[in-house]
Amino acid sequence: MSVETTTVSVPEGRPALLLAEYETPGACMKAAAKLRDAGFTKFDTHTPFPVHGMDAAMGMGDSKLGWIVLVMGITGLMTGIALITYANGIDYPIIVGGKPAISIPAYVPVCFELTILLSAFGAVFGMFGLNQLPRHHHPIFESDRFKAATDDKFFVSVEYADPKFDADRTPELVASTHPNHIEIIEDTES
Amino acid sequence: MSAATTDKTDYRLSGTAWKIAAGIGALGLAGSAAGFAADAQRFAFSYVFAFFSFLTIAIGATFFVLLQHLTNAGWSVTVRRTAEFFMSALPIFALLFLPIAASVTQLYPWWDGADHGAHHAPATAGEHGEHGDAHSPATPELAHDDTAHPAAESGHGEHGQHVAGGRLSEEAIEHSLHAEVMASKTWYLSKGFFAVRAVFYFLFWTFLALKLFRNSTLQDSTKDLRLTASSQAMAPAATFGLALTTTFAAFDWMMSLLPNWYSTIFGVQIFATTMVAIFSVLVIVSYALRASGVSGNAITTEHFHDLGKLLFGFNVFWAYISFSQFFLIWYASIPEETVFFHLRWSDGPWKTVSLAILFLHFVVPFALLLSRNTKRFAGQKILVLAAVLLLVMHVVEMYWEVLPNYAAARGIGPQTDAALAPHWMDLACLLGVGGVYMAAVLFRMSQHPVVPVGDPRFGRSKRFENV
Repeated sequence: MSVETTTVSVPEGRPALLLAEYETPGACMKAAAKLRDAGFTKFDTHTPFPVHGMDAAMGMGDSKLGWIVLVMGITGLMTGIALITYANGIDYPIIVGGKPAISIPAYVPVCFELTILLSAFGAVFGMFGLNQLPRHHHPIFESDRFKAATDDKFFVSVEYADPKFDADRTPELVASTHPNHIEIIEDTES
Repeated sequence: MSAATTDKTDYRLSGTAWKIAAGIGALGLAGSAAGFAADAQRFAFSYVFAFFSFLTIAIGATFFVLLQHLTNAGWSVTVRRTAEFFMSALPIFALLFLPIAASVTQLYPWWDGADHGAHHAPATAGEHGEHGDAHSPATPELAHDDTAHPAAESGHGEHGQHVAGGRLSEEAIEHSLHAEVMASKTWYLSKGFFAVRAVFYFLFWTFLALKLFRNSTLQDSTKDLRLTASSQAMAPAATFGLALTTTFAAFDWMMSLLPNWYSTIFGVQIFATTMVAIFSVLVIVSYALRASGVSGNAITTEHFHDLGKLLFGFNVFWAYISFSQFFLIWYASIPEETVFFHLRWSDGPWKTVSLAILFLHFVVPFALLLSRNTKRFAGQKILVLAAVLLLVMHVVEMYWEVLPNYAAARGIGPQTDAALAPHWMDLACLLGVGGVYMAAVLFRMSQHPVVPVGDPRFGRSKRFENV
């Protein structure tokens, strides 16, 4: 393979990522599809703008976030019902406005708001958790070329931690997708 | 709906569908006319129900089209034409309004002025029983006292003072309350002003519908970008105008069936209804167009996904507004406000309908539409199921808005089984109004491509993807 390969290494680092740079979104998407077909799961694409069809090319399934939000929303709803039933109906029953102590319509605003609140918490913090955030540093930022990911270049990164990763064959596989350039990035953390 | 052409790039519907709809409409109108001869009052209420069931679709379609122009939306271009067809038949409601204009004395208790509709509302104070005929006409002082106008908002306080003074019986207070409420409305609920407003609504709607439709269909052949610019330029002011005319039309023709009742959120509720109705229609019609091949590959999963999201969102909005209206009235429990729900939420047949609306218009569609998968996968069958359910429940909701007033007008208490009495005229009017409206829509569909082929964003819309 004639693709130029460089290594960005730091003291005591170990190989963490294989970063391939592409000129066009199409080449990037083809590379992603090739990795998907080879059974890779721990790889990502980095593009300056959303590329239609990339999710399918990467073989991404449904996000789990919806389920987290659903569970949190139901928890909020139940919390609201339990709170009002206990406070107004059991612990301190009091007639307000001639309505019964346990009065379903009066539940709705509080239960609705709690459902929304916990759903929103589920969405925001669930997203944080699934993305392993907050994370102050990622080895990919060791690459100078990677800055172009927000400008005019398209990247595919493969983690060394992927079960399919092979130190010899994976760079060859990536090189066969015609990248501009390949970089091996080492982790600075450990 | 069948595809007339085998050429997938033609985007045209056959010319027979509208004739079938016109036939159904003619039969329905003939039945309605027979009903009018048999029982003019029942006909009037059935007709208002049918009229609103379809008027809301046409208005919702106009809102949808304006919204796309307001936001310079590219995604919706291929489905916008469907909404434009449903919008283009809006002017026909000016003709369809004539039976209502002829029935005003049957429908609107305030029309003759003498009675102010007080007898129209049984048991406004809750469970005090029927005392309809005990009401005499409003006292002249109150009815003609112009200073009573601001009292519409603050009248409850004065009312309370009467109670504290112990000078009036409860019934007399309630009576004077009706009189005050009605007196404050006489300037608005008057024959001349009502007629002027109706004419204005129809002129405005006709102008909007024809102008937007012409801009879009003319572009099919000319591909003139100025037509898009023209629609976008008029969209902001037109949206304001449509919002106001929709609100006041709902006040005039539906809310004033029960004239001593008022709800400031009523117009918003009808707006929400129009949006749920049009998104249901767009999902169903887009599905039919895609399945029959008339729309070729122009309408994709991505469009259904977005229509589904908007249907879900506006249905939640509808539920939010509907509940807000109920909740404030229920909590405050002020007699002239509770009368609306007294007719619909007392233990009786209408309460069953109310609960059916709660579950089948909100809970079940909410569950069906919540997941992304139901909007994208399995050929959108679940999405279409939810849309059909919501369209049926839309008609039920219009029935629920109008027909309890008929029972009240006949002095039938909401707790008796006779309060809910479906009549063959309901169906005749529904088929009559719906047939005429759909004939107009389907006729337009046979005259123009079912997608706006001349729109500058047409290609972009075909390739559009949710990211």
